[in-house]
Amino acid sequence: MAFVFNFPDVGEGIHEGTVVEWLVAEGDVVAEDQPLLKVETDKAVVELPSPKTGTVLKIHFAAGDLIHVGDALIVIGDAGESVPDSGKGTTALPQGSDAVSAPEVEVADQPATAVATGSRRPLATPKTRALAREMGVDLSKVSGTGSGGRITDDDVERAARGEVSLTPPASVPAAVEIPANVTITADGPVERVSLTHLRKVIAGAMRSSKQISAHVTHVEEADATALMAAYRDLKPQIEAEHDIKFSVLPFFIKALVECLKDFPMFNASVDEEAGEMVLKKYYNIGIAVDTPHGLIVPVIKDADSKDMIQLARQVADIAGRARERKLGLDELRGGTCTITNIGPLGGVFATPIINQPELAILGLHKIEQRPVVRDGQIVIRDMMYLSISFDHRWIDGAQGARFMTQFARLISNPNLLMARL
Amino acid sequence: MVVGSVVKGCQVVVIGGGPGGYVAAIRLAQFGKDVIVVEKRARMGGVCLNEGCIPSKALIHAADVAFEAGHAQAMGVTVENVSVDLAKMVQWKDGIVERLTGGVSFLFQKNGVEVVAGEARFIDDRRLAVATEDGVIEIEFSQAVIATGSSPMGLKGFEVDGETVIGPTEALSLQEIPKKLVVIGAGYIGLELGTVFRKLGSEVTIVEFLPEIFPTMDPEVGKTLKRSLKKLGIKVHLSHQAQTLESGSPAVVIAVDRDKDTTLRLEADKVLVSIGRVPNASGLDLEAIGVALDDNGFVSVNEKMQTNVPGIYAIGDVVGGALLAHKAYQEAKVAAEVICGHAAAFDSLVPAVVYTDPEIAVVGMSETEAREAGHEVVTGSFAFKASGRAMSLNSTDGFIKAIADAESGLLLGFVAVGKGVSELIGEATLALEMGAFLEDIALTIHSHPTMSEAVQEAVEAALGKAVHQVNK
Repeated sequence: MAFVFNFPDVGEGIHEGTVVEWLVAEGDVVAEDQPLLKVETDKAVVELPSPKTGTVLKIHFAAGDLIHVGDALIVIGDAGESVPDSGKGTTALPQGSDAVSAPEVEVADQPATAVATGSRRPLATPKTRALAREMGVDLSKVSGTGSGGRITDDDVERAARGEVSLTPPASVPAAVEIPANVTITADGPVERVSLTHLRKVIAGAMRSSKQISAHVTHVEEADATALMAAYRDLKPQIEAEHDIKFSVLPFFIKALVECLKDFPMFNASVDEEAGEMVLKKYYNIGIAVDTPHGLIVPVIKDADSKDMIQLARQVADIAGRARERKLGLDELRGGTCTITNIGPLGGVFATPIINQPELAILGLHKIEQRPVVRDGQIVIRDMMYLSISFDHRWIDGAQGARFMTQFARLISNPNLLMARL
Repeated sequence: MVVGSVVKGCQVVVIGGGPGGYVAAIRLAQFGKDVIVVEKRARMGGVCLNEGCIPSKALIHAADVAFEAGHAQAMGVTVENVSVDLAKMVQWKDGIVERLTGGVSFLFQKNGVEVVAGEARFIDDRRLAVATEDGVIEIEFSQAVIATGSSPMGLKGFEVDGETVIGPTEALSLQEIPKKLVVIGAGYIGLELGTVFRKLGSEVTIVEFLPEIFPTMDPEVGKTLKRSLKKLGIKVHLSHQAQTLESGSPAVVIAVDRDKDTTLRLEADKVLVSIGRVPNASGLDLEAIGVALDDNGFVSVNEKMQTNVPGIYAIGDVVGGALLAHKAYQEAKVAAEVICGHAAAFDSLVPAVVYTDPEIAVVGMSETEAREAGHEVVTGSFAFKASGRAMSLNSTDGFIKAIADAESGLLLGFVAVGKGVSELIGEATLALEMGAFLEDIALTIHSHPTMSEAVQEAVEAALGKAVHQVNK
């Protein structure tokens, strides 16, 4: 009996995704738990494993297609078996041994002849439509650059090469070589690059956070000299013993957790409907990771119960997997407060955006040697700025200042931090 | 294998030599396939060439000539005693049919398409049994194209006997003009043939079950047509159900008003039954290979003309939709190309033409369909009564209406009623297939004086820029 594998509900909040690539093809034999496809959801690319062993009879979506929870993705059964109705308006039919025609078989609800007049059609000439069929391009996904938005042969060819459609080049100066994906506008050459799913998700999250929260940022200065001395002392020992790359970040995670214990409203969210502040009694720290694909924020669960070595190991692991887009969805959810470490990239300090529904985000800025006054003397110290951006609707500025003072105190006096661990 | 049968093999077998079947066969042969066509008629061409499109249009034109000769007094032409020899007219028509069906056979011969005369049924999904005059022939194939067409639908109490009760086929071969003709069904066949016999002198009454003529088309179409039929002297009884036939000379058709409790008694020398068509899907043993049919008995296919059984294709009337030869042509080409591994699919608009007087031609979406598809709609019309060419043809009934998306101006459909609009719908169809906008047609010169100017005028009206009529 053929089995229709639907896009599973991979967890709270995730209701759609984009097919990144298929790891199997129709006709392939797959084993249970073998990865079938990669799907980009919210902030991760996940591999969906096969729920059973069998032959791939039918694949329903192509790379780049948007899928929703419950959509039939793939049909797995015995070789030669007929394919059941996918239940979403299209019926897949078996192709069997009819290798000559070997086309993809998808039957509309009605015979094709009944379809011709009713629905909206892509704006393309019959010749262009034939070309699209030949090149396997879905015209409904191509934007036309022709007059009135007509899809041209060039648009189809570009789409087949995986390039984005561009507005038509106007008069191009003969001497200037213009790359194929750059077009000349009245104001100058422009390149259009289509937005990734991740970029759209980030954009949506950032915009809504700015709309939801009353952001305010409090900045404090810390003297990290002692902390850096401790770090430099520990690093070779820990790295030799534990085969990990030890960074300074675990100190900050620990300091943050301690501050969150002191100021619980920074480790909270607000249930406006119920009129309640939800103070979290667990400490899941989000770590903003800069990846080539865009910002991803994996979460270190129960950071309070992990030692710095465990934290260092986990930070290295999730940051690496975030860059490879290999994080599981559960590793991206459930944060209670977030750290963004902007320091290595330069700047004095920044005003990060809160990761909803959290109430605060801690900014770590660069540590550098600066002359400061200690006991009436100008001395050189490892100085850094720390920022806390919080939701001023629920947290007063005074609380922000107190939180930051305490945090800077723990960073400036690592022994105080150690004493609390 | 059937005992005692002859076995033939081919790559593709095409069942039916009508517009779908013969086009598929020729296209397949052009691609180098070894093709056999199974046809139960003695002649190729199916209903279209033998008793449909072509013979009816021959009689329509001949009837027009006779009618216009007698109705040209306004133009200063008086022809006394126009006489019609129906037997000769039918003979002339038969000559045309002969030439065209012979033409198909010639093309088969030149393309190396083999014909097996007989009735086919499926043994399994790779074999057909064909009952021929010389016994059963078994044909083994890799792919089959079902192109068996459709037949007139029967009506209980009005079974075709060839004498009093006739179908479209018999109507095209009458030897005498019936004095009184009752047509049951105001579909395109009933209207076309009713008009022919009215023009030849019959007293014609049409009984239609539905409350409107062409209820799914633009309401202006039915309105214009009703006016024209009245002018021709054809009586139309809408919302009437033909119930019984009293034999006699003349016979009497009893029709009941579906709204009121009244009954009509209509005398008839001939009763033409034309209430629709049914697919020729039974008798093929399709169930033996599991080919799926829809609720109305048409073969279900996808846009590649594939049935649910691998290697079995179906095209033309037997798959439903618009039962029109040109739709079958296109489906035939799609099926042939898919069989030969090309990336073909049916995604064409199907224009429809009715050869009434005036003619009706439509393509694309109606205004209602366009709205249902979510368009903000703008329309523009031009009535032929303002057309110099229509006046000079002494034929000013009708109009052309363009339907477009109001926001973008993208053309969505055309409705045309008028003399010769069957020839104008080609332009309209091309415009829609090319994705034309109102401006594209407005900026295209249409030669003067022609009926085609009306297309440009209608489009300009939609843009609020008509010159030869007052803009709304």
